[in-house]
Amino acid sequence: MHLPRFEYFQPSTVEDAIHLLEIQKSGARLAAGGTDLYPRMKYGLTRPESIISLRDIPVTPPTLSQDGILNLDAFMPIKEVVNSRVILDNAPLLSEAAGRVASEEIRYMATLGGNLCQESRCLYYNQGHNFQFIEPCFKRGGDLCYFVPKGKKCLAVYMSDTAPALMCLNAKVNILGSGGEKQIPIEDIYSGDAKHPLELGPTEILSQINIAKLTGSAGWAYKKFSLRGGVEFAGVGVATVLQMGDGKKVCEQAGITVGAIAASPLRASNAESLLKGKEITDSLLKEAAKAAAEEIKVVPHHGYSTPYLQEILRVQTHRALGTAYERVGVVSQK
Amino acid sequence: MDHRKRVIELSINDEPYVLAVEPQQTLLEVLRDSLSLTGTKEGCGTGECGSCTVLLDGKPVLSCLMLAVECVNLDITTIEGVGSIERMAPIQEALLEKGGVQCGFCTPGMVLATTAMLNRNPKPSEGEIKRSLEGHLCRCTGYNKVIEAVEATIEKISDTHE
Repeated sequence: MHLPRFEYFQPSTVEDAIHLLEIQKSGARLAAGGTDLYPRMKYGLTRPESIISLRDIPVTPPTLSQDGILNLDAFMPIKEVVNSRVILDNAPLLSEAAGRVASEEIRYMATLGGNLCQESRCLYYNQGHNFQFIEPCFKRGGDLCYFVPKGKKCLAVYMSDTAPALMCLNAKVNILGSGGEKQIPIEDIYSGDAKHPLELGPTEILSQINIAKLTGSAGWAYKKFSLRGGVEFAGVGVATVLQMGDGKKVCEQAGITVGAIAASPLRASNAESLLKGKEITDSLLKEAAKAAAEEIKVVPHHGYSTPYLQEILRVQTHRALGTAYERVGVVSQK
Repeated sequence: MDHRKRVIELSINDEPYVLAVEPQQTLLEVLRDSLSLTGTKEGCGTGECGSCTVLLDGKPVLSCLMLAVECVNLDITTIEGVGSIERMAPIQEALLEKGGVQCGFCTPGMVLATTAMLNRNPKPSEGEIKRSLEGHLCRCTGYNKVIEAVEATIEKISDTHE
C-alpha cells in the first residue's frame, strides 16, 4: 500500500511546528509516530496536503518535581514510557497501560502524545473505501451509519490505552498553541463526539503530561480485555486506583476510568463514591464493579454487543479493583 | 519545501546508500523497490502484521509506517544484514531445526524482532518472548514452534558464553 503525496516539513522545535500549522491552516496534519495517521492515509480516509513531522523535536526525559508532580514529554515514545524507572516508581499505572499498547514495534514508534491524540475507530470506517460507490458514513462527511443501521450519530470508539490510565491518575496536559500555553485536565481534551473526538484547536499541540505521584498506600491496575491478547485494540480497558488511609484498610479515594467503550474515556463516578470512605471487602468491590457497569453507557464496537461489553466491563472492573487492592503499599516498598 | 524528491543518505547493513526519495515513500518501498532488498516483506502495509520489521539503531520498527526521509542518520538493519546462507544466525538455524518456518513470509520480521530482543535481554522469560513477538502474525506454524526456536536460541547462546 502506498501513501498519497504530501508536502513534508520536519521542524526541530514545537514553536516552529505551531508556526507551520498557522501557515498551513487545516490542510496540515501533525505526525509523531505516524502509526495512527499513516494507515488512515493509506486507506484514503484522510488526505492532508502537508505532514508536519514531530520526529526531530528533542524529547526531554521524564522528571519529578519537588512537589511530587511527574512531568512527561508528550513526544516520548511509548516504549520509553514502559521502560522509564521514574514513571514505574511514581505512576506505575501508566507504565502498565503503556505496556499493553499495540505491539512491540509500534510501542517503539508511537508516542505518548500521539496515543492520546489518536482518532476514534470503527470496523466500517477503518478500511479501504476505494471500491465503494455508496453514501459516506458520518465520519466521512455523510449522514448515516453503516455499522449500526438507522444510527442517529457516529458511533466510532476512542481506543487509547494510556488515556484511561492518565484520567484515573487525574493527569493534566499542557497545550501549546499560537495563543500561548495552557494547562487543562486530560478530560477536557475530549469532545465526546466520535466524529471529532479531540477538542484541540487547529494550531494546538499537546506538549506535556503532568501527573501527581502515587503515594505509598495506593494500589493500581489496568485491565485490557481483547480476544487475541496482543497487537489488538481493547474491547474494554479499565484503569483503577485505590488510595488507602494509614491503616491500608479504608479507601480514601478511588479512581475508576474506562476506555474503548465510547468516543472518550469515561469515569465511573458512582462506583468511585461507593468505595470512598469504606473498608475494602470483596463484596464491596463487586458492588462497585456492578455500579460501574450500570452507569457507563457502552457503545457496541468491533463485533462486541452492548450486553456482552457491559458484562465484560463489570468483570474487568472487579478484577482491576481486586488487583489494585492487592498492590496497596507496593509503591513504598521499592 | 514541496513534493520534490530529496537526496538522502541511508546506512543499511553498514553500507552507505545515496538515493533520491519523495517524502511519501516509506522505508519499505525504498528498500524493496529502489534498492532491491526484497528480504523485507510487505504484509498488511498498515502496521498490523509485523512482516516488514527492520531495526533502526537496534530498535524494531515497522518499515511500512516509517518515512524513508526520517531514517537518515540511523543504522538500518534488514534481514539481509542478519546471517547469510553459509553462516546463518543462531535464531535462523533454530527456526529451521524446530520447524518454525513454513512459507517464510513472516520469518524476516520474526528474526529481526528476536535479534533486537536478545540484544537487549539475552535471557527473556516466555512472557517477554511473547510480548516481543506479539506484533508478528504467522498463518502457518501457529507460533509454538517459533517460540520453541527462540528458547532454543537462548539456550544455545548461553551455552557458547559459558
